[in-house]
Amino acid sequence: MLRTRLTPAALALLPLAFLGLMAVGPVLRLFAEGAGQPSANLWADDYLRWRLLWSVLQAAASCLAALLAGLPVAWVLARFDFPGRALVLRLLMLPFVMPPLVAGIGVLALVGPHGLTGVDLQDTPWLLLYGNLFYNLPLVVRAALDGFAQVPQSRLAAARTLGAGPWRAFWRVELPTARPWILPALCLVFLYCFSGFGIALLLGGQRYATVEVEIYSLVAYELNLADAALLAYATMTISALTALAYALAERRLAQPLRFEPVARTRAASLWSRLAVAAALGLLFFCGGAPLLAVLGRALLAGRAGWVVLLEPDTVAALWNTTRFTLMALGAVAVLGVAHALAARRSLLMRALGFLPFVVSSVCVAFGLLLLYPAYTASLGLLVASYAFLAYPFVTKNLLSAFDAVPAHLAEAARTLGASPARTFWRVSWPLAREGFARGMAFAAATAVGEFAVTLFLSRPEWTTLTTLIYQHLGRPGSANLDAAMVLAAGLMVLALAAFLVIDRPARATRGGEHA
Amino acid sequence: MKLSCRTFLALALAGLSLNALSAELRVITHSSFAVSKSLIADFERQNGVKVSFIKAGDAGEMLNKLILTRAQPVADVAFGLDNALVARAVEAGVVEPYTPSIDRDIRQQLPGGVVSVDYGYVTLNYDKAWFESRKLPLPRTLTDLTRPAYKDLLVVENPATSSPGLAFLAATVKALGEEGAWKFWSALRANGVKVAKGWSEAYYTDFSKNGGARPLVVSYATSPAAEVFYDKKKPAESPTGNLFLPGGVFRQVEGVALVKGGAEREAARKFVDFLRSEAVQKDLPTQMWMYPVRESVTPDPVFRHAEKPGFDNTPDERTLAAKSRAWVARWTRVVLK
Repeated sequence: MLRTRLTPAALALLPLAFLGLMAVGPVLRLFAEGAGQPSANLWADDYLRWRLLWSVLQAAASCLAALLAGLPVAWVLARFDFPGRALVLRLLMLPFVMPPLVAGIGVLALVGPHGLTGVDLQDTPWLLLYGNLFYNLPLVVRAALDGFAQVPQSRLAAARTLGAGPWRAFWRVELPTARPWILPALCLVFLYCFSGFGIALLLGGQRYATVEVEIYSLVAYELNLADAALLAYATMTISALTALAYALAERRLAQPLRFEPVARTRAASLWSRLAVAAALGLLFFCGGAPLLAVLGRALLAGRAGWVVLLEPDTVAALWNTTRFTLMALGAVAVLGVAHALAARRSLLMRALGFLPFVVSSVCVAFGLLLLYPAYTASLGLLVASYAFLAYPFVTKNLLSAFDAVPAHLAEAARTLGASPARTFWRVSWPLAREGFARGMAFAAATAVGEFAVTLFLSRPEWTTLTTLIYQHLGRPGSANLDAAMVLAAGLMVLALAAFLVIDRPARATRGGEHA
Repeated sequence: MKLSCRTFLALALAGLSLNALSAELRVITHSSFAVSKSLIADFERQNGVKVSFIKAGDAGEMLNKLILTRAQPVADVAFGLDNALVARAVEAGVVEPYTPSIDRDIRQQLPGGVVSVDYGYVTLNYDKAWFESRKLPLPRTLTDLTRPAYKDLLVVENPATSSPGLAFLAATVKALGEEGAWKFWSALRANGVKVAKGWSEAYYTDFSKNGGARPLVVSYATSPAAEVFYDKKKPAESPTGNLFLPGGVFRQVEGVALVKGGAEREAARKFVDFLRSEAVQKDLPTQMWMYPVRESVTPDPVFRHAEKPGFDNTPDERTLAAKSRAWVARWTRVVLK
């Protein structure tokens, strides 16, 4: 008894220490620095209140849009088999690695003033929606797909036998089963959009900016730490409540049901073919087309553009991206597994799993500088920052997977004399392995695409592909734009290779989610 | 898993120990700093010191990082303090004044013992093809920008997150006075000015020369030259031009300074001198797209596509330090609220 209680607590120490050193300590240190400063009464300021409200509203709207578009797509992908399905599921993660500026250029190449489609959506709300779906739709589809794959065949069959139509069966059986997978994804979408360094804001202009932009400018430009602290506390409270609400909901909803999952059927009927075509069409339109536009621009750059790949700077950046991702993944695996194990029965640990998305990145970056001046621009701190931003994905996916492991399996193993460690290794882990792989793939995507790390101190010799792209886009001239597009194409290939290696199809034929 | 963790630690330690081997000069810079690697290598060889560059984001961000870490400086030399930041840097006590060995033959100076290295102009660029195809005459004054003929044609950077954005705002305030400037910006807002987060976003997603719909953008007077330089077809004329509107030109002077309390003083001073050497002054125009401060150094011939304005509307360093934060706060309310 003592042992089973002790183990999660001991496991929690590692992620808690890491979060304390990387987030809580730095942020508190930064705000302590500003404690003496005079502070204006921010809440009397209409503008800031409006900004805060707008941040919440647009994040909620993004969740809704991603959910409405994502659920049908995920359902179709979960129920039907078609050639190339496995590849589509991996390509699905590509938008995630694209730097927002490149994605924005891709979107405009399609629906901008000189766009290929001839439709100009610039400065319309549709462009905001499009940009939002580019990043968020894949996230929701991927999660909901995993959820729908958990629906037991017997339950669905029972519902149908008892007279439920497909629609009713969806609402009463399939959706409730998938909910524990969908909710964390929505929570992520909310947190991402709430802090909002996204493409939507890039395309919409600064009038649509979230409150995080205010915090950035208060800290980085004005060094007005007192006001920044007030704002940051407010946003972090909202984010933390979101994370907590999710944790509560997830634990209540978790229903381990792993019998025979619903088998996918081949898309043979006209109806199912149309459904698959519509789902793929929507995915392609939202995620694939802007990426293809970037690829197309890269191809148009011609030979003179492609020589950028042979430049020593590019080779060095490629190597940096690869090694930083690998180093971060090492730390991510350890932290993610420890956190997920510790959080299985702890609501607080579940919510803390989202801490890296809850704290303001710019506050963390400046706080780290204050707290560890001797280690600024050190490789250790850089890799730790990558791990910090990436490991919640492993925790999140692993937790969802653990929740789906029926308790009676572990109990049976224990009754048959297996030790807790053996039970975990032989029963729980094999069932959760796919969740782990999926989480690692998302973590790799985050590390390869790293957006927020640019806030931390860096060295030119640590230039990664993403930072090199931004360097080119920091100068005028068509050759720079060409170079950026070619490098972005390279980034896609590298990321796709990483997903193919990490998120391999399982060999087992359990009928679960193999892709 | 274990293996990668061990590799990670080993690599991290290797990274730390390498730095401890030879004397190291830490130079903090903004993210657009660039000097040819061969010149840096020459400097390292001649002075027996390893130069480590630390990129700290935008210039304003870099200064605040220096101010926050003043008790334990993270660098010995800082490059990128400009006339908008220099007075604040001096006031905050992060600068150790220095007079470089080369101090004659210099066009633009900075106060407070900060050593000027290069200078340039923030101004409007326009898309030549766009204006030609629509037979629209170019605006001639700032007020023209608020007229219906020029509705929805301008994109500016947010001065709260971008230095060229702040520079352009400062120029309008200098020329129009504070109240006049807010009236102008309010009219500009009514006329559909778009605000982008930074220069890259404005130039590559909103400027009509690239992906956007707006033929007027706040950029640099050297950008048209860079357009020619970075074009594989090497056109005879730049696709973009400078629009020097009265009240819309800001002169930016960038400098380098010794960081107070930093180490390696001898090497640090030599590095400051090095940035004023003929070799670096000749190198920097096509690296950072700024003019060299040495009068005797002529920049690359491509700079003929980047004429200098005959005037500028630059507030003095003290005013910039004292007022710019209040200007940004007010601007945010007038334009974004």
